[in-house]
Amino acid sequence: MSGASIAVVVLLTIGVAIELACCVGVLVMDDAYDKLHYVGPAAIVGPLVIAAAIVVRASLSQAGIKALLTAGLLMVTSPVLSHATARALYIRQRDHVEPGPGGRP
Amino acid sequence: MNAWLIAATVLLLGLIPCAVVMLRGSAIEALVGLQMAGVLETVVLLLLAEGFHRPAFFDLALVLALLALAGGLVFARMLERWV
Repeated sequence: MSGASIAVVVLLTIGVAIELACCVGVLVMDDAYDKLHYVGPAAIVGPLVIAAAIVVRASLSQAGIKALLTAGLLMVTSPVLSHATARALYIRQRDHVEPGPGGRP
Repeated sequence: MNAWLIAATVLLLGLIPCAVVMLRGSAIEALVGLQMAGVLETVVLLLLAEGFHRPAFFDLALVLALLALAGGLVFARMLERWV
């Protein structure tokens, strides 16, 4: 077994473990705000580690670049979606958004 | 069956907690579960594409990552006021 193969297996194991741990976190937390915290590592760290495993295996070929692109896209879009979800919960609980310093919501 | 396909199969087990949250939680908690399931599915598609040695399949993961954002934003906007 070559060094690259060992690195791939280690990276895959870490990535899958992170994803599954975050799934358990989403399940066991009580509040939606707490559950949201577990989506972050699952969308940022996990895909990045797995994309790294693909790059180790396929180098920067078409597959490697697309894997990195997908991980980068998840890294950018997940915080946006988490913010929108938390904002929706905030508004549902209070029926309004607190005004900011300039009177803007 | 190679390591990529095994990892994808194991990762699919993560959809079970997401389904439990979506079925038993409130509407917002279900949205969080949906968000988590979208991330999991994207990673599973990455692993399957590499496991089957089909670089073209990586496009599926890329498109799913984009569409999961669009769908999640629509749900979040709707849940703010209307449901």
